[in-house]
Amino acid sequence: MELLIFYPLAGFCVLMGLGVIISSSPINSALSLIAMMMGLAGVFVLQQAHFLAILQIIVYAGAIMVLFMFVIMLLNLKSAEEDTWSIRPQNTYVSVLTGFLALGALYKIACVISQAKLDSPAAVPDDFGTVVRVGTTLFTDFVLPFEVASILLLAAMVGAVVLAKNKID
Amino acid sequence: MLNLACLVPIFPLIGSIINGFFGLRIGKNAVGMVACGSVALSFLTVLLMFASLLFTPAEERMFEQVLFTWMAAGDFSVDFGFQIDPLSMVMMLVVTGVGFLIHVYSIGYMHEEYSYYRYFAYLNLFMFSMLLLVMGNNFLVMFIGWEGVGVCSYFLIGYYFEKKSACDAGVKAFVVNRVGDFAFLLAIMYIFNIFGTIDFSDVMHMAPEKLIFGAEPVTIITLLLFIGATGKSAQIPLYTWLPDAMEGPTPVSALIHAATMVTAGVYMVVRCSVLFEMAPLIMLTVAFIGGATALMAATIGMTQYDIKRVLAYSTVSQIGYMFLACGVGAYTAAIFHLVTHAFFKACLFLGSGSVIHGIHGEQDMRKMGGLKEHQPITYITFLISTFAIAGIFPLSGFFSKDEILYHALMDGNIILWGMGATGALLTAFYMFRLVFMTFWGESRVDPHVHPHESPKVMTLPLMILAGLATVGGLLGIPLVHGWHALHNWLEPVLHFDLAATLEHSRHMLHAQGEHPASWAHLLIETEHNVWVEIALMLLSLGIAITGIVGAYFCYVKNPDLPGKFIKGQWGYELVKNKYGVDELYDATIVKPTVVGSFFLWKTADQKGIDGGVNAVANVIGWFSVQARVFQSGFVRNYALFMVMGFLVLLILMF
Amino acid sequence: MEHIPAPAIDFISLAPALILSVFGMLVLLMDLFAGKNKNLLVFASLVGLVLAGVSAFAPKALPVVSFGGSYVVDHLSVFFTLIFVFSSALTILLSIEYNPRNGIRAGEYYALILFCTVGMILLASATDLIMIFLGIEVVSICLYVLAGIKRGDVKSNEAALKYFLLGAFATGFLVYGMTLLYGATGTTKLAGIAEVIHSGQTNSDTLLLLGTVLLIIGFGFKVASVPFHMWAPDVYEGAPSPVTAFMAVGPKAAALVAFYRVFATAIPEIGTTWDTLLMVVAVATMVIGNFGAIVQTNIKRLLAYSSISHVGYLLIAIIARNSLGGSAIAYYMMAYAFMIFGTFGIVILLGEKNSENLEIKNYAGLGVKQPAIALCMTVFMLSLGGMPPFAGFIAKFYIFGAAIKEGYVVLVVIAVLNSVVSLYYYLKIVVLMYMKDSERELELSMGPITLAVVAIAVFGTIEMGLFPDPILQLTQ
Repeated sequence: MELLIFYPLAGFCVLMGLGVIISSSPINSALSLIAMMMGLAGVFVLQQAHFLAILQIIVYAGAIMVLFMFVIMLLNLKSAEEDTWSIRPQNTYVSVLTGFLALGALYKIACVISQAKLDSPAAVPDDFGTVVRVGTTLFTDFVLPFEVASILLLAAMVGAVVLAKNKID
Repeated sequence: MLNLACLVPIFPLIGSIINGFFGLRIGKNAVGMVACGSVALSFLTVLLMFASLLFTPAEERMFEQVLFTWMAAGDFSVDFGFQIDPLSMVMMLVVTGVGFLIHVYSIGYMHEEYSYYRYFAYLNLFMFSMLLLVMGNNFLVMFIGWEGVGVCSYFLIGYYFEKKSACDAGVKAFVVNRVGDFAFLLAIMYIFNIFGTIDFSDVMHMAPEKLIFGAEPVTIITLLLFIGATGKSAQIPLYTWLPDAMEGPTPVSALIHAATMVTAGVYMVVRCSVLFEMAPLIMLTVAFIGGATALMAATIGMTQYDIKRVLAYSTVSQIGYMFLACGVGAYTAAIFHLVTHAFFKACLFLGSGSVIHGIHGEQDMRKMGGLKEHQPITYITFLISTFAIAGIFPLSGFFSKDEILYHALMDGNIILWGMGATGALLTAFYMFRLVFMTFWGESRVDPHVHPHESPKVMTLPLMILAGLATVGGLLGIPLVHGWHALHNWLEPVLHFDLAATLEHSRHMLHAQGEHPASWAHLLIETEHNVWVEIALMLLSLGIAITGIVGAYFCYVKNPDLPGKFIKGQWGYELVKNKYGVDELYDATIVKPTVVGSFFLWKTADQKGIDGGVNAVANVIGWFSVQARVFQSGFVRNYALFMVMGFLVLLILMF
Repeated sequence: MEHIPAPAIDFISLAPALILSVFGMLVLLMDLFAGKNKNLLVFASLVGLVLAGVSAFAPKALPVVSFGGSYVVDHLSVFFTLIFVFSSALTILLSIEYNPRNGIRAGEYYALILFCTVGMILLASATDLIMIFLGIEVVSICLYVLAGIKRGDVKSNEAALKYFLLGAFATGFLVYGMTLLYGATGTTKLAGIAEVIHSGQTNSDTLLLLGTVLLIIGFGFKVASVPFHMWAPDVYEGAPSPVTAFMAVGPKAAALVAFYRVFATAIPEIGTTWDTLLMVVAVATMVIGNFGAIVQTNIKRLLAYSSISHVGYLLIAIIARNSLGGSAIAYYMMAYAFMIFGTFGIVILLGEKNSENLEIKNYAGLGVKQPAIALCMTVFMLSLGGMPPFAGFIAKFYIFGAAIKEGYVVLVVIAVLNSVVSLYYYLKIVVLMYMKDSERELELSMGPITLAVVAIAVFGTIEMGLFPDPILQLTQ
């Protein structure tokens, strides 16, 4: 039953992920990204992480991606880098080589995985994924990372301002 | 008294610092005073220590002074300390004594130089490093000195930096030396891995217990050590740097490239004699490399016209003798020859410097001749030293070389002796060729130049060194057991109990369940045969005289004979071009490295077209075309490479 | 209503990071009022760094484990904290004269360096994958901005952009690797992971190995090892010189110590699976770094490649995965800090108002005109090449010793051969200084503070070579 929902959802996520990379207009890319986030939220629900799923939608799909869209529309980005890259025949060779390497690697991993047997999933505690549990974990076990994240955000903000300021002093 | 040991290297260090930083301000006289004074102080200290060591009983002549714990990590601990024993004492006496004379000589020789202070700063720094090398109580201190002398040598070879050849020679010396140093460093690490210490006395004590006679570990260690020695001491195959090193000022050639630094390899082998004794295969290699170098360098020496290059090849050849002695287990003979060689070769180099000084910088022997009237003192001292190196009784070289040849025959085999004896013949020949071409015959000096004798400050060291070259042989009077002063002196250091070692190795092999081959034949002592020795002495004296007469015949009686003889001889051309070894190295090692690094860098990295590439682009045009594949500089290419790396690692992992 | 129990927060072990965060924000605020004169900011930053350095010694009995095993203060982390504080302080000192001359006026520069230092300190103490990730990100984000802080300069902008894009890409690998490790073991604590592996209760070995490969790539990018090194020459060249020096020392050391902690304390038990990979990476890093450096003509690119090759040597210490390796990395990075800041100090001294004189041919004739500076440069070059008696030799000796102890002889042989090759290009600069005449007169700026930094660096390089023991004791 779970698998019946999981595979379509996962397939959807992968498709949308491809869409982010392949589509030529930035708007379409961003929209694909939002769709992928939604799909991921579905996967989270499937894993009993309801609160995370909601956060995923509110924070990523809701807030961050909307900001993305605004920026894209405001800047009116065209495809920025002229695509001389893919024209070069040598790059094609290198890419094809990489592709073959990837196939080889996938094959080897598939061989290993097909022989390994995964344990049955451990039982999930009742309060797993609830707001209370997430909050408790965040403020006890992971209080330090939580605080450090604020430094990270501050630094990123300062950095963005420095780089974006038109004129210095 | 032996506690003074730490002062010995410190004096030159202080001298170097003073001259290096304040040299321009204090003026030339003061610079010379500081430089020579500091070395003189060292020499006096060494003399005091020598006296004190002389009055200690022979078994207790071993003193270690640990200054501080250099580094300690886990079970790894190295002290910074000095080891004073008869062997290091001999080296200290030679280094400070000969070093002092050469410092004094330099005052006269370098007087016209602008950067006089720089020269003396380097020279003092060299003395400091060299003293560390010979005094260190463990491999790492020795290695520091080993590298230090290399750096000083590099700077002094490249002293005349206006000359491109001098720069190139400096770099060449440095790089070739590094090849040897690399082996030395590996040997040190291997020793540490096996013994857990790198202290000389500990390692030498533990060696017979921890290593199996002739087994793989000791063979690898000694091989690596010997490669290190070939680099520093200019032996086959790493000898090519030494003749080029003659681009440096002549006193430097005398001090570094004749008397002290280049003999460091011999010192190191003797210092590790216990290890070498346990690796018969490497001993044989050492002997043959030494013999072959002695012979080959002598043949090249016969064909050169640059006075300093002849002496350089002669140095290579003489150090070959020392290794020959080491290889047959005659360590005393090696040190003996090291000491006498320091005297007469320093005298020869300084003498050649005096000649060059007297005729204003000319080094080509074809433009000399008839100088004995103009430079009598130089001539006489030079002649004495030449007799010494040729091995004429009773000068020092006679005794030391003869001892080596005797041991080569008795402890080695007839081939080794043959190489040594032939080398001796050639030595006598090319050295007298040099004397005759330089001092005898018609003057071929440029008529505008008026040859003159050098000042006292230069001739005085020459006279002292010539005196030492004359009487140095008294250190090792042969024939009568117990008269060999040097042998008695070094006995406590070189003592090695082969029987006990073999017994121990046998036990260890048994413990491993293996049965060694019989080692009984190794324990047969060769009797000291006085009559063989006398016969050999007479023979080598005859060889030396033959060489001299040959040279006289070719260069004084019939000066045109050599010219006729060599005409059209391909063999002569081959030897004159130093057997093409330089070219060979260039083609097989240097070029591929340079080209290869371009190739590697360009295929593996993007921004291929920097300035330097253009020059090589013509040579390897094909590569540069290929290189453009990757030099886009696009972020996506970098990312692609990362992905490729990732995939390769993945495939490796699974 | 359920109450969340207040977690115990060990302020003493966090002190250096806390102090620097506070000073970082303080500097940001002061920048508002400071106007054009940045001296006050410099002063405040230096005070913060000194205080942080002092407070690193506050914990009494080491090691102190806090935050449920995700943060540890041990000898290694204290020593690395010192390296970070020291390198940040030297960076700021080098910037005092460099920045005005090259049109860098942003006051945030100093704040970013302080925040970056916070990230590095956290990274050195982190024993939890999430903390390691956050530490790396704090460091990286500050660096992206610092690399591009020379706003008017195209190369600087390009460097920042490249670094940012590739850095984000590499972060993906890192996070994914951590996720897989978590998936395989069910914990993010390094000690916990080691325990699970030891007891053989991993969920899936495949996930574990896959995670390990991904971590190698993530860390490999941060320390600039081949084939994830390509950003380094471009970024090192484009970034302002003090920032380049900073990047080559502090963040690299931080990433290395995290690398070491993860591989040598969390997953050493599966060491035989990943040591081959790291050996391949290490050898490739040494070879490409050294041979790449031989052909460079720009001093900063040359140093970038040289720095890549040094990472190759350092990886050997991780492969050895013993405690000697940890202190060898610490010692090496301290020695490297002295050498690199000294070298960059001289690079900055050589710069003029309109030209930074970054071509190595600009060094010709320095030995005659500025003997003292040339002598210092010679010391740095010889030390970088691993010549005794300088710090670089002892550092290499330790690393090789640690590897020999574990039996990686072939690796050490390759490394020693590489260090022989490396001398070639270090010597090239020495040759230029002493043995060539300069093509034109240079007007050296000779800023007194930069000179002081060079003097400190020379002292350190020689001191750590002659008397390595006191520093070495600190690392154990």
